[in-house]
Amino acid sequence: MKAEAQALKGHLDVLLLATLRDGPRHGYAIKETLRDGSGGRFDLPTGTIYPALHRLERAGLITGTWSTVDGRRRRSYRLTTKGQRHLASERGNWRQFAAAVTALLEPTPWPATP
Amino acid sequence: MAGHTLIDAHLAALARRLPARAVDELADGLTETYARHLARGFDPTAAARAAIAEFGHPDQIITAFTRQAPGRRTALALLATGPGFAACWGPSLILGHAWTWPIPTPVALAFGLALLAVVAALVTAATSRHSYSRTQLAAPGAIGLVLLDTAVLAAVLLAAPTLVWPMALAIPASLARIGLTARTFPRLLAR
Repeated sequence: MKAEAQALKGHLDVLLLATLRDGPRHGYAIKETLRDGSGGRFDLPTGTIYPALHRLERAGLITGTWSTVDGRRRRSYRLTTKGQRHLASERGNWRQFAAAVTALLEPTPWPATP
Repeated sequence: MAGHTLIDAHLAALARRLPARAVDELADGLTETYARHLARGFDPTAAARAAIAEFGHPDQIITAFTRQAPGRRTALALLATGPGFAACWGPSLILGHAWTWPIPTPVALAFGLALLAVVAALVTAATSRHSYSRTQLAAPGAIGLVLLDTAVLAAVLLAAPTLVWPMALAIPASLARIGLTARTFPRLLAR
């Protein structure tokens, strides 16, 4: 999993934002969405998700609210308008980057000769 | 707490080294993880062990919190800009002949010692990798820096016989640092 963690580095913020695209979630639900949405490839220790969420909150990209569930305090996060804009921008950047990498990596047929 | 001694012990280990707000959130996450494993048919001890394995070792979690701690980041920023301030204030004090200003020696010594203490607190916070509590030294460091900036501005206004041109850079820089640093106080002092 070390290689997967390395691959995730630098992309974690935008992936966390993407997990909130469909509405508010709490920490464990975010971790599950990240794991399930990646087919199990991005399965981070749950406890390490929270500091990253706090950083995104300080950056104004997400906002958290406390509630009480089964007698426990729970913090749920949702995207802010700034976070939605950032996610849309990063999605566009990623598509361009992925298209460029794919174009270079995929074998292309030689031009047909007459 | 969560209903299993292993879960409680894990949370207690985190509570000793992290702020209460973070521990509340972690407790909810760990309890939720434990409940999911129970729902899958694990017995309570197996569910607790599986939940803890999925959640992460306390050292791993605390390292992640420490790396992202607001105190660590603030301390790094203040230390990174320190040489710029020295480059502004050094020539200001030399060209202004600060040693001739009517400031009692004990006050000047206290200023120097306070500056050393502030730098030590900020370096300790900035270099912390596995101790969240060390990053919290950024709060007294930042408050001390604001007080020192205020003191040096007061000294210039009250004790300097003339203003010299490097002060045109140094004074606005210190005023900006006071304002920007004060804005971080709520975040640094939050528990």
